[in-house]
Amino acid sequence: MINLGTYLGISFALFICGIFVMIARKNIIAILLGIELILNAAALNFAAYSKFVNGNLDGHIMSLFIIVIAAAEAAVGLGIVIRFFQLRESIHIDDAASLQN
Amino acid sequence: MDYTFWTIAPIVLLPFFAFVINAFIVKKFTKTAVAISTGAIFVSFLYALRIFSDFMNVYSVGYHIHKVFNWFDLSTGAHVYKINMGIYIDNMTAVMLLMVTAVATLIHVFSTWYMHDDARFGRFFVYMSLFTSAMLGLVLSDNLLSVFIFWELMGFCSYSLIGFYYEKEGAGNASMKAFMTTRVGDVFFLVGILAIWSVVGSANYIDIYNAIAAGKFNNLTIGMFSVGVPLATFAAFSIFMGTMGKSAQVPLHVWLPDAMFGPTPCSALIHAATMVAAGVYLSLRMYPLMEAGHLTTFIAYIGAITAFGAATIALIQTDIKAVLAYSTISQLGYMVLGIGVGSYNASFMHLITHAVFKACLFLSAGSVIHSIHCQEMPQMGGLRKKLPYTFLAMLLCCFAIAGVPFFSGFVSKDRILGDALALALTDPKFIPVALLGFGGALLTAFYMFRMLFLTFFGEARDHHIYDHAHQEHIGWNSNVPLLILSVFTLGLFYSGSFTGQGEVNLFGSKYEWFNTLIHKPDAHSLPHFADYKKEELGAVDTREKLELPKAAYDATHGLSEHEAHRVHVIHQVGALASILIAFFGIFLAYSMYVKKSINPDWWAQAFPRWRTALKNKYYFDELYINKIIQKGMIPFNNALAWFDMGVFDRFAVDGWATVNRYLYNVARWFDNNVIDSAMVDGTGASVRLMNVVLRTVQSGKIQLYFMVLIVVLASYIWTLRF
Repeated sequence: MINLGTYLGISFALFICGIFVMIARKNIIAILLGIELILNAAALNFAAYSKFVNGNLDGHIMSLFIIVIAAAEAAVGLGIVIRFFQLRESIHIDDAASLQN
Repeated sequence: MDYTFWTIAPIVLLPFFAFVINAFIVKKFTKTAVAISTGAIFVSFLYALRIFSDFMNVYSVGYHIHKVFNWFDLSTGAHVYKINMGIYIDNMTAVMLLMVTAVATLIHVFSTWYMHDDARFGRFFVYMSLFTSAMLGLVLSDNLLSVFIFWELMGFCSYSLIGFYYEKEGAGNASMKAFMTTRVGDVFFLVGILAIWSVVGSANYIDIYNAIAAGKFNNLTIGMFSVGVPLATFAAFSIFMGTMGKSAQVPLHVWLPDAMFGPTPCSALIHAATMVAAGVYLSLRMYPLMEAGHLTTFIAYIGAITAFGAATIALIQTDIKAVLAYSTISQLGYMVLGIGVGSYNASFMHLITHAVFKACLFLSAGSVIHSIHCQEMPQMGGLRKKLPYTFLAMLLCCFAIAGVPFFSGFVSKDRILGDALALALTDPKFIPVALLGFGGALLTAFYMFRMLFLTFFGEARDHHIYDHAHQEHIGWNSNVPLLILSVFTLGLFYSGSFTGQGEVNLFGSKYEWFNTLIHKPDAHSLPHFADYKKEELGAVDTREKLELPKAAYDATHGLSEHEAHRVHVIHQVGALASILIAFFGIFLAYSMYVKKSINPDWWAQAFPRWRTALKNKYYFDELYINKIIQKGMIPFNNALAWFDMGVFDRFAVDGWATVNRYLYNVARWFDNNVIDSAMVDGTGASVRLMNVVLRTVQSGKIQLYFMVLIVVLASYIWTLRF
């Protein structure tokens, strides 16, 4: 039976996966993917609460916003990654430890 | 006439500013500096003349100007402690001002001739200006404190002027001797001022007079002991010691003969108008204190011994300036003797008359020395023809100092001797004083004319010197000053009357202007000083003629007609005696050195021990050097030096250093271990520790930050669980 708990469980799984990816992976693109996972977990949460608790479409609209922002953020993030690659010829996260060029 | 600051102060300030200006310009503009000095003293002479003529116009015993300003204020709460300075002019000050400025002006004028080829022509005038202004300041002062300041200033100037030819070794020593000897008196003088201050609470003349009139000294007690009179004696003695130093009284006279190492015009200034006059002037001002301290007998004896002793030394001097120097000491002895026997007016008059004829004598000696470049009388002789004007001036002055009638010295000295005689006849302890006084008068007449005869009469003894001397012509700055001064050796100017309010009496009487105007502050007149008023310095002068009862100042006040007559007769006898003595002295000198009927060498051989004693000036210098300095002062200094080195230096200074070294070790330990290690380095260490921690955290590894964030957030959420 699919209820709120199911959604939250999936959402939590997604969130944990995102966190894990962000912490464990050293590839910046992979970290961006982790961030996407976390955002999606949040969006799923909005949608689930909207359906089971609130009963209106507020949460859905918020989910749509999150998707748009996630796309924008992914575009910006990838831009940064390209620029970073031009500088360091690497997308390893530990190469970004310095504040200097 | 109005008396404001600007009509009185220029008398002092003009020569002083001349000194200040000349001190800067003298090297480049010597001629200008000389002109400034001479001009300044001449203008201040005009100011003094203005004051003098005003005082002669008012012609009142009590006429005075007293302007006071607060110098500094040490009052604390209820204790009023103000140090005042001020200007005090009475008849005596007016006469002194005129004498000092007039004599100084003529000496300045003479110096422009006498010193003009000297290498330090200008510098001489710099010192002369300061010297004169210091003397004028002293005369104008209304209190002993400012008197002391000017007194010391004069001491310095005399030091500079006596040591003016500092290339000569003797000049340097003489200047030091003058300074040191007068300092002995100065220290006593300062102590005397403090003693007076402790009783009166002021050093002002009028305050002191009022305190004495009110019996403050007599009524002073500490516990059950009456200390007033001993304290007054002590104060009077200390002040008189100042006089002894400055006015060269035995035993502090030794500096004055050596002072002739200075240029002759400066000797004239020191011996006449400034330095030595200051001492007598001080004693005259402090006369009530001398009387309150019962010191007059002592003063009379010191004066008599000085007058006679110096005259005997002068008998055998061969240096023309040395004769004059000893005659100065002798004449100062007469003034002090006059103070001692209560002959106040005559003593002051002798100060004035002596200033005039002694300045003239020194300038004449300077004229002689300048023309023959020699000071030794045995090498002179017959200079009458070469130096007629100098001879004339010197002859008049010798008449004056010898006490020939109608000359100034007679008028003043005769009165002193008459008073001494009158006192000796009533009080036997003054008999030696009178005898020494008359004896000194004989010697004075003798040695002055000995000097005159040896210098100007007879044949030239050294033809080389005689032939090289230039024939003297009248010159405005060479012999005109002498002739002007010699005119004022006439007794008329001192025993007459300027205003018609007295009567002209060539033998001196109580109606002449000097006697009328100069009043002795004794028991009769002291209470009147309470009426004297002080004014603020800036106040507009509203003075009117102040008439005080003349009886209070009459010398014969309180005497019965019989006694007054007796005093009068004694004075006439004294006058007759001193005339005879003067002529006898002159006759003696004439027979010895002109007529040669008496052989002076016979006298020298008849009394060889006396001659040796006189040659050695009674061994005063030897006494001071060999006994007091070698036996007393130097061992004392050595003892003090030992105490200083052995005790004070070793225990106090070095001991303190040892204590300090220990203290320093403790302080160093504390500094190293506590301050430096714990606090300064501790701060650094703790900062470094924090740095290690924070540096590891600030790694820049973003995943680590994120993990920390997650952990913190998770633990926060964990706490919200409940």
